[in-house]
Amino acid sequence: MKPNIIVALIGLLMAGTWAACGKSIPVDEDGLLITTRTDCYVSSFELLGTDYVSVRSGTATVDTTALKINVKVLFGTDLTHLYPQFTLAQDCKLTPKITGFVDLSDTLHPKQWTVISGNRKIQKTYSVVVSVQSR
Amino acid sequence: MQHRTQYIGFTSFLLATLSLLAVSCKKDGYSLPTAANKLQDEAIKRTLGPNIVGQQIEFAYAMAIPSSKGKLASCTAEASIAGAAGTWMENKSYFTDVNNSGKDTGVLVGSPYVNSGATTTVTYTVDTSAATLRYYYVIPEEARGKTVTITFTAKSSDGESISTKMGPYTISNMDMTLNMKVTNKTQMYISIGDMSVYDSTGAAAHAGSIDLVYLYRTYSTSTFNHALVAPAADPMYLPDVILPAGVNRDAKLLKVFNLRDHNLAPDEQYGDTFIDDVDFQKIDLTGEPDYAINLKQDAGVWVETADGKYRAYVFVNKVATNTATLSMKRYTLGNGK
Repeated sequence: MKPNIIVALIGLLMAGTWAACGKSIPVDEDGLLITTRTDCYVSSFELLGTDYVSVRSGTATVDTTALKINVKVLFGTDLTHLYPQFTLAQDCKLTPKITGFVDLSDTLHPKQWTVISGNRKIQKTYSVVVSVQSR
Repeated sequence: MQHRTQYIGFTSFLLATLSLLAVSCKKDGYSLPTAANKLQDEAIKRTLGPNIVGQQIEFAYAMAIPSSKGKLASCTAEASIAGAAGTWMENKSYFTDVNNSGKDTGVLVGSPYVNSGATTTVTYTVDTSAATLRYYYVIPEEARGKTVTITFTAKSSDGESISTKMGPYTISNMDMTLNMKVTNKTQMYISIGDMSVYDSTGAAAHAGSIDLVYLYRTYSTSTFNHALVAPAADPMYLPDVILPAGVNRDAKLLKVFNLRDHNLAPDEQYGDTFIDDVDFQKIDLTGEPDYAINLKQDAGVWVETADGKYRAYVFVNKVATNTATLSMKRYTLGNGK
């Protein structure tokens, strides 16, 4: 009688373990969770100088229809060393990744970043247009 | 029989566990340490940060002898490279006065210090068996880039002597100058090489060594305020500035904020960082601009001169309308790159 109970318990444990491991959690190539969210937009934008202090002269305008971010920076800002910070909709991610200072001095050819939704199926590419405050 | 064996096994295991617990919880007996029956000493270095030529390194040297054996006779500090003028040893022994908010309070114990070559000596004039004296070594120019050791020696009335060697301490290659006042439109020309500020007449006389121009401007359309700009920068960053003849050097500037070096900002509550030689060696200013606009108090600017001879860190200690107080650490890279 006793051995039968033990065998039954072991069987139950193995079944439980198999069931627990059966579901694979969906993650992308960055190890980030892939969710069901379809939101895909930039909610706000910040630009820091080499001193990690904001160089904006006003609030950055994020146009989620035209997919354009307009930001005016203070007079004297070194456009070759700027640190952009994007705030994205929940579960979104940004590509290319920002790993340090970025050169935004080519104002005729604005730099672009792509926002990817939480379900990783929607992509929207934003242009960052920088203008400099006059003296 | 089987039950009996199990019982014995269980009991043995329980006893072994209890014994282990008893042993592990046993407190070692404590007894007050007995002081060695001889002259003893101990030294600490009180100064933190890089050792910069012209600055002091402060030590506290404690010495004691059992009163039954004698009293303290003298205290000597000998440096491997003689200290610069201003090197001295206090003839007071300090204690922490618990009745006076824990302040260091000095008690006169010896005659004034005597410097002789690389040696500084205080001779005890009171009957004391324990004292802590402070020694201030002013780093001489000849120690730049070298190492210095300090040997403290205490002597007692019974003829005993004891020594402690401190160091070696590496002396920095940096130079430092504090609290340079710059003023808009007058004392506005800064030389990294000379570590000085000039007016237009002085700048004309030292035209080849002017690296930065200080400006203060206010505009309704932009935030200019306090700025450091290389003479060769775009004239839009030097509004209404007529440079003296020959003042035309360029520089690379990197603006930072809240890098409060403790040497440059000794009065700052949060000045807990030290910039050392290695920071100047490692920083890469390639591609940096030749101007830094809108500088605030506690901002700083890394600078590399156009000839590649110097790198400097200029810290903004204070700002006010039309004026600022700057402090600078400077590192010599060589004879240009």
